[in-house]
Amino acid sequence: MTFRERLQAWRYNLVPDHIIGEILEKRWTDNAIPFVALIATVAAFGSQIPGFFSLYSLQESTRQLGEFSLVVIGLTVVMLGGGIDLAVGAIFALSAFAAIATFFIFALPVWVAFLAAITTGIIIGAINGYLIGYIRLRAFLTTLVILIIGRAIFEILIVNYGSIAQMSQVSSDIWDYIGDDIILGFSVPVLTTIIVAFITHIALTRSRPGWHVLAVGGSRRSAHNAGINVRRTVFFTYVFSGFTTGLAGFLFATRLSGTGIGTGHGLEILALTAAVVGGNSLGGGRGSVIKGLMGAVIVLVMTNGLIRLGYGTGTNQMVLGVLLAVAVTIDIRWLKNRHKVLNEMYVAPVYLKMDDAPSAEAGSGTAFELNNRLSKARSIGLGEIEGPEDVILDRNDHLYCGTRHGEVVRFFAPDYTESEVFAHVGGFPLGLAFDRDENLISCVGAMGLYSITPDRKVTRLSAETRRSFTSIVDDAVLRDPNDLDIAPDGLIYFTDSTKRYDAHDWTLDSIENRGTGRLLVYDPKDGSTKTLLDGYRYTNGVCMAHDNKSLYFCETWACSIHRYWLEGPKAGKAECVLRNMPGYPDNINRASDGGYWMAWLGMRTPSFDLSLRHPAMRKRMTRRLPQDEWLFPNVNTGGVVKFDDDMNIITTLGDLTGLSHPSVTSMREHKGQLFIGGILNNRIGLYDIENADKNWTAPVAYWGEKS
Amino acid sequence: MIFDPILDIFRGKTITIPPMDGAFRANTDLDDAPSFANIDHADNLAILDDRLIASSGNLVYEFDDKGKASQLHKFDSEITAIALSPDGRLTVALDNGELLIDGEKASLPASLNCITAIAYSLDGTMWLANGSTKNPASSWVVDLMQKNACGSIWKSESGTGTFNQITDALAWPNGILVHDDHLVVSESWRHRLIRVDCATGIKENLLLHIPGYPARLTPTLDGGSWMSVFAPRNRLIELVLQETHYRYDMMASVPRQFWIAPALSSGNSFLEPLQCGGMKLMGVHKPWAPSRSCGMAVHLDSSMKPTHSHHSRANGHRHGTCSAIEHDGRLYVAAKGGNCIVTIKAGKSEAGK
Repeated sequence: MTFRERLQAWRYNLVPDHIIGEILEKRWTDNAIPFVALIATVAAFGSQIPGFFSLYSLQESTRQLGEFSLVVIGLTVVMLGGGIDLAVGAIFALSAFAAIATFFIFALPVWVAFLAAITTGIIIGAINGYLIGYIRLRAFLTTLVILIIGRAIFEILIVNYGSIAQMSQVSSDIWDYIGDDIILGFSVPVLTTIIVAFITHIALTRSRPGWHVLAVGGSRRSAHNAGINVRRTVFFTYVFSGFTTGLAGFLFATRLSGTGIGTGHGLEILALTAAVVGGNSLGGGRGSVIKGLMGAVIVLVMTNGLIRLGYGTGTNQMVLGVLLAVAVTIDIRWLKNRHKVLNEMYVAPVYLKMDDAPSAEAGSGTAFELNNRLSKARSIGLGEIEGPEDVILDRNDHLYCGTRHGEVVRFFAPDYTESEVFAHVGGFPLGLAFDRDENLISCVGAMGLYSITPDRKVTRLSAETRRSFTSIVDDAVLRDPNDLDIAPDGLIYFTDSTKRYDAHDWTLDSIENRGTGRLLVYDPKDGSTKTLLDGYRYTNGVCMAHDNKSLYFCETWACSIHRYWLEGPKAGKAECVLRNMPGYPDNINRASDGGYWMAWLGMRTPSFDLSLRHPAMRKRMTRRLPQDEWLFPNVNTGGVVKFDDDMNIITTLGDLTGLSHPSVTSMREHKGQLFIGGILNNRIGLYDIENADKNWTAPVAYWGEKS
Repeated sequence: MIFDPILDIFRGKTITIPPMDGAFRANTDLDDAPSFANIDHADNLAILDDRLIASSGNLVYEFDDKGKASQLHKFDSEITAIALSPDGRLTVALDNGELLIDGEKASLPASLNCITAIAYSLDGTMWLANGSTKNPASSWVVDLMQKNACGSIWKSESGTGTFNQITDALAWPNGILVHDDHLVVSESWRHRLIRVDCATGIKENLLLHIPGYPARLTPTLDGGSWMSVFAPRNRLIELVLQETHYRYDMMASVPRQFWIAPALSSGNSFLEPLQCGGMKLMGVHKPWAPSRSCGMAVHLDSSMKPTHSHHSRANGHRHGTCSAIEHDGRLYVAAKGGNCIVTIKAGKSEAGK
């Protein structure tokens, strides 16, 4: 091994590249950019401004932050619903004025002032909501108009009545308490924000109205088609925004006990920047309250920090503008390219050096030498079925197979020309086995372990196992259950081929070659599923040994067979009993003579084996070429191999013409005949086995004669 | 996007190849066409005394109208190119580096040892395409995988017996068409036709972005020509050509017929590389699947613009078409990988319309 190759082996087998792709799959990675921005902003200004973290400074900052956050929460909800609310600047000012006027001019109690502020907010919000939701005007223009009108009214009012309010002698302890005091270390605005944020978050993520808002923002038409009242939902988002902004206005009024011409000026831009910088999508449907809050902190720290560092409002506006532009760009580019990034990052090939296999070429003289005998197999169901990964026969000689349409099809004995859909399961039924009570148990690709009773009732037995501690993407779920066999005590041993890809993406798993296949056991007594073994390169066929003391299972991409011991000194341990085959093994099933049939789904090629030693090349291949162009094991030739308990290869059957059985994924012996299935094929083969026991059937071998 | 060149560094630039469209639009003409003769490795076609002749391994066959083959010559080494001089002498280039003019061994310069195509001017001047200075003609795939560009064009005026190089630095010149004052040369590894001035040797691009590896060129009566293309361009092969370490490891450790490289025929062994799109699904091998080999004969008009073409696609068998020639209103195409010569009525095909 050259130094370069050793370096590659270390690089690609020790560095867990696959984690990046798995993390990117998480929705919360959307929060990463705003979170980093938040930390950076606080750290930058905190280190530049002396006393930034002092208690008084924080108290004042957080009061302001509380009010501002309330506005941002309202705006976030509107944006999640697919709208925009520029009127918050006007609502805020008018609500504050309503509170001031009620309290100072009319000398009414504080709770009336509170109601006045909230009502003002809700009314203006309702006007917005009515115009946008029901009349269906454009949100941007409508709220802009309301902003202008609202600000105009506010300025008229403040000019005429501002001084009266200022000269008022009214005072109240409650008013001052709300404006200045601290409860449990928090100011009232901060507490209010925490409560409102918490309730809003719960409502958005866990309640029907909240989901409706997200659904409407995500796609109005789909939401409408799903029966959601889109207009009402939009209406209420503006009402909610008016409510939180009114609340913020009231808190502002209590803090400053007065309003001026500048109250709420430019607030809409600040709030919008905050919501977008936090990572809420302008397009709607994507975002959260937490993101809004992060954005609020970033924007407020930045604007206040710049003022305290002595920069003027011009600089401030400029920074805000740039911030908004950057955030919008990132939002759009990220939304558009996220899946591309994920696609490029996800496949993370590993290094593997396969040892040379004995040749399987015709005329090579090895035990694995393939011939053309399978090309003589007769066809069952030619063109009627698609993708019979596994085939099985019952006591009445009827033939069953799964299809890629999610059905289990039954062909009737004795000539197998008539067929019916035995049961519709969904997914892709792969491995099949009969249990003692003649229930058909199936590993269904992308779904789990299922049972079909003789009267066609489909039940799910298992779809998950225990999650492993180090998993990033939940690996409890069975992504590619592949084959199973059943022990005399009823325990069902089955394989889940890969944790990284869904069943239909098995080609990707071969390119990546990472060992994530599992052997599991399902206990029908308590319905539990346990993981027995983990970390194999595509676990596949499972077969109980004839003496039931152990089972065999295949590791496809490693071209190996393993034996897992159920009894005896090695119980609970697996050992590799056959390695370096020239073909990729699939299902294993019992043969009548005490041996085992093994299917080869494809053949190793020197070019693919070499590519396994060049993980960087495979990575570039996945990034630079479309999937149809990728190098792949040669699945246009497969075969059937019979071996015994001492791992002697007894016989091989192949179809070198590739015309009827290019790839073989399963075979069953039944009364001297071999039934052949292929996941890529459109037929079941029927092959007469020379010198086979004409009476042997698997149901009898497993469960005895029917009583 | 303006960021693409920067992002390409991180994400890898997508590999693209020219599509089989327009004049190159795929059809099944070559597989539908009747077989004229079945001979192994049918390679270079020529017309001798109004009869079709073809090289095949180290043999030259002559065919009657029915396609019945009779052996004309036998040589010690594999034949790499044949041609007839205006006065009817058969010129044969062999893989061991020899050039036989009417059975006479010509004395060649040392670097002229990989003759891939021969053509004559009407005045008897012989033009030779030398594929490479580093590999014999039979090792063409090695030359491609080494990414060589050391081919050249040679000239030998009638009766002189001397050979002069007129241009070099060509990436496997594989076909020559003689015009009055210039040659048209197919450059396989660069997927293009170039014009080479007979006197000065100055090169000019004529036809770029051929969706395959062009081979020999033959003239037609109407002033156009036939270009045979022996393998399609394939994105995986283009990737391998850029993957230096993998490519050299492959050349060192994998038997040549199983390389990820163009081939004259494919799908014969399960040890050959397979691409995802090439897997047989539900008993069907998709004709548009990526393939290492194909059959293609392209008609070019007098300005060397392609007009229409005849194909054998991924699921066909008449692959590795190294020579196509028009004779008596019929087009004969030799499929070296398909071990046959097929014949099609010349003129625009149905699919090409």
